[in-house]
Amino acid sequence: MIEITDKTRDEFFSEAQEIIETLSRNLLSIDAMEKQGRTDPSLVNEAFRAVHTLKGLAGLFGATRIGSISHTLEDLLDDVRLGRQPLTVAVLDVLFVAVEAYHRLLAAEKSSTDEPIPVLDELLTRLAAIGGAVPSRPTQQDEYDLDPGMLAVLTEYEEHRLRSNIEQGLNLYRLRVAFDLNTIDKALEEIKDRAKLHGEIITYLPTGDVGGGDTIDLDLMMASSEDLAVLVGALGADNIVIEAVPRRRRPTVRPMGVPAVAVVIEQSEPAPAAGGGLSVRREDEVPVPVVEHHEASLRSVTQTVRVDIRKLDHLMNIVGELAIVRSALSRLAERLRAEGQRQFGSELMRMHRSFDRRLAELQDGILEVRMVPLGQVFDRLARVVRQISRDAGKEIRLVITGAETEIDKLIVEELSDPLMHMIRNAIDHGIEKSDVRASVGKPTAGTIALNAFQKGNHVMIEIEDDGAGIDEAVLLTKAVAMGKVGTAEASDLSRDELLALIFLPGLSTRDAASDLSGRGVGMDVVKTNIGKLGGVIDVQSERGIGTKLTITLPITLAIVSALIVDVAGRTYAIPLATVSEAIRLDESGVRVVDGREVMTLRGSTLPLCRLHRLLRLDVPPGWRRQFVVVAAVGNRRLGLVVDDLFGQQDIVIKPLGRSLREVRGFSGATELGDQRVGLVIDAAALIDELLTGFETRERSGGRRWVTS
Amino acid sequence: MGDLVNPRVGRLARRGDLNRGPVLEFLAFVLDGELYAVQLTKIREILSPPPITEVPRSAPEILGVCSVRGLLVTVIDLRRRLGVTAATVSRRSRILLAESDQGEVIGLLVDEVRQVIRLSESDVELASAVLGGDVAEHFIGIGRAPGAEFILLDLASVVPA
Repeated sequence: MIEITDKTRDEFFSEAQEIIETLSRNLLSIDAMEKQGRTDPSLVNEAFRAVHTLKGLAGLFGATRIGSISHTLEDLLDDVRLGRQPLTVAVLDVLFVAVEAYHRLLAAEKSSTDEPIPVLDELLTRLAAIGGAVPSRPTQQDEYDLDPGMLAVLTEYEEHRLRSNIEQGLNLYRLRVAFDLNTIDKALEEIKDRAKLHGEIITYLPTGDVGGGDTIDLDLMMASSEDLAVLVGALGADNIVIEAVPRRRRPTVRPMGVPAVAVVIEQSEPAPAAGGGLSVRREDEVPVPVVEHHEASLRSVTQTVRVDIRKLDHLMNIVGELAIVRSALSRLAERLRAEGQRQFGSELMRMHRSFDRRLAELQDGILEVRMVPLGQVFDRLARVVRQISRDAGKEIRLVITGAETEIDKLIVEELSDPLMHMIRNAIDHGIEKSDVRASVGKPTAGTIALNAFQKGNHVMIEIEDDGAGIDEAVLLTKAVAMGKVGTAEASDLSRDELLALIFLPGLSTRDAASDLSGRGVGMDVVKTNIGKLGGVIDVQSERGIGTKLTITLPITLAIVSALIVDVAGRTYAIPLATVSEAIRLDESGVRVVDGREVMTLRGSTLPLCRLHRLLRLDVPPGWRRQFVVVAAVGNRRLGLVVDDLFGQQDIVIKPLGRSLREVRGFSGATELGDQRVGLVIDAAALIDELLTGFETRERSGGRRWVTS
Repeated sequence: MGDLVNPRVGRLARRGDLNRGPVLEFLAFVLDGELYAVQLTKIREILSPPPITEVPRSAPEILGVCSVRGLLVTVIDLRRRLGVTAATVSRRSRILLAESDQGEVIGLLVDEVRQVIRLSESDVELASAVLGGDVAEHFIGIGRAPGAEFILLDLASVVPA
């Protein structure tokens, strides 16, 4: 066992996480192919390798539970790839349960708890149910003249693939390819990719013939349903010679340069060794050349590194500090010029400008590194859709577009739960049962479209289903029953306002809380979580046509533009994303409604919050409040009364420490220069805090509905 | 930090090492005229107070936040935390940086930093024997060095979890 430091532990988690995600993607592909009645043995092989690697990792880090299920899964996948266990839907289901179990186990491992994990028991039971069901293979015989050297070094897996291809009646071909030593890695992958379209490469070996100079010859054994002529047409090239491997008892052309042997594929009655059943009958004893076997390269082919996001945060902090140096430089240059040191001043100014440019580039560079494709979270969703749609007995087609759209890593992490919830809602409440769909002339399979795209400095994510749409009448009945909406104003609500009711806490359109969603914790939580990321969510729905939820998110949380304001002599920052405008306060226009100050802004009521009062700051005598910063989050607005506006600045928001987690109203702090720290006002939190309750009271006073 | 060590105390303490078993180093500081000490290994750094930004609506013992080379640090008024009167920042005030169990870096404002003292087990009278009840939760006990007594503070109990 290696010494486990926090750092190596972190690396274990991120590597394990990555492997599990790859495994999950893999299974989804296998599943998709299985639905079309096809299998890609290389995918099964990859899944096997992923589990195998995971087992090794777990052993290294003493994660025994992960280790032991990996061991069992490895056996199962080994049986699958060697054809001892057919790849049935049941097997796939177990594998998906396993991915779920891995996630739970990893989380448990991370928090160092070893409480029981229910999904693990389920997994073990189901694994036990599958084990031992080794089907008998139909008897099938065929014979090929093959190179004994090649046969001797076939792995068990390759033997199985060879056998199964022959059983399927495919033709065997030998491709002799001359590779340039310098480019062999790439060229080999290329030819494998091309060959995949026409069949399967079972194995490849060096021929032993020393090519001239920098080339090496490899023999590739390939199985294909196509004719030689077709293959030659598709794969042929100057450096590739393709021949059919002759069947036995045909006129023998010694194919591979060495005395031929016959391969008899026969049934193994009681299978002697694992996968045994392939016997080689030599016509004459030939010493088998020892040939080094090429395992799939373990060397990573990608040129990427994994970086802890905290390291990037640290770099971003340094950039923030350099920005402070930059403004000091510019002040210094100004001073020099003012004091008559024109030449020094100008030189320093030039340096400052060049520094400024580079610094901006550096900042952009770091931001770019933080970006990850949304595909990461979409893959996870695809797995969930598969599971839920099976549980709900509904047929769902998930169509993903824009998975390559990039967004800040931190946002991606926080997105997965809200998106999951919305997808569950779509399946559970949106998509109808297939018989219902058929009766209204819709295709029986429901479609959920997950679209992502960039729009300016924002990323939009749409979740659209072609289900029944939201029944606003049911929504309204519920809202009235819960006392969230008065009966009087119920008839006043527009369709958009009605739809916005889904974001009210505790509202669910299903009476029986289902396993899938419901239970009253729903869209309000989604909305809050999206809000925490500086995003907003909108809903559109058409009865009988479907529902579309649109999330708008900032691309990054690392740097935001903010309005810098003064409240009672203290400096605060308000992110511009939440500011719709700033106006001068006209005290004569301030009225008091139900104990709260409001003003009228372009015909609608704007509740006001005097920040100095809310924050209990002492106001120096003679102070005069002057400005209203109108904060808007979704369609709720609040006027923040401040004393002065200092202008706009790009800020790096740092979260407040754990010891301040109880403090509401601030999303963090930022450095303002001169070593000073300013707090960042969380307008969304203030709106929630101050307006919840107020709106209801205001509504019952017969006024217009102000919020969602 | 060399100037913090009172050479005489250090020497005396060292002489005693021979027959008193393992020795721990403590950092001594002043709060409201009293001498306190915390285990030296728990302190990351000693700072002159940078500008501190108050955090409205936070607990009374929280002075605010400050930036230490880009790191956001919550500063606690140790006098108020221990139920003594509120601190005033003077020329001699210092901030001790310590790390909480959750890895958060916390600043503790003290009136003055004195010296590093070395104490072995036999120099420490445990709090349970000296003090009773609530007060004991923050203190390990009394440390006796030649010429002075120190209240030994349990850092984990004053740093918020």
